[in-house]
Amino acid sequence: MTDATTQIKETVTANDVVLFMKGTKEMPQCGFSSRVAGVLNYMGVDFKDVNVLADADIRQGIKDFSDWPTIPQLYVKGEFIGGCDIVTEMTLSGELDQLFEAKGVTFDKDAAEKIREANA
Amino acid sequence: MNRADEIKTALDAAFSPQHIEVIDESEAHRGHSGYAEGGESHFRVVIRAPAFAPMNRIARHRAIHAALGPALIGRIHALALDVSG
Repeated sequence: MTDATTQIKETVTANDVVLFMKGTKEMPQCGFSSRVAGVLNYMGVDFKDVNVLADADIRQGIKDFSDWPTIPQLYVKGEFIGGCDIVTEMTLSGELDQLFEAKGVTFDKDAAEKIREANA
Repeated sequence: MNRADEIKTALDAAFSPQHIEVIDESEAHRGHSGYAEGGESHFRVVIRAPAFAPMNRIARHRAIHAALGPALIGRIHALALDVSG
């Protein structure tokens, strides 16, 4: 196992919600990363952001680890959930709420409803 | 063949879709990271094919990534997918 893989494994194990993204949650560097971080921030989810632009090994390592060629990538309780399109679809369908509820992740349900109302 | 046509040809061959649109959205990303002069960097694919019906979301995206192959995916910066069965 490479160092990057070990580090990724430790990160997704130690944190309930992890977003591998370009930039940081405060300063995203890509529209797709920005959208997912924005949803999580708005829903009040406590998540760990990993800036793949800061580490080339992690940037390639997460693609190999997830067998997924694009960034951002969302992990919840060690499980790969998807990228920007999937998280957006799940937010609008309510599946993301269900996932957080099933996994015991705290979030603001009213905020999630507001996102859906705004995009109805 | 431009990249949109390459994407469409690969997906047509793999999934025989009932509906497919490959939209080059590169111009909308002008000035952002990943934009290259001449475009052909950011694409959106809308595809509907029976082959996707039994798959969950992650499996659908993985099937598309596999059909396009790492070489083509490596040459584009962003690929937004709207997949239905």
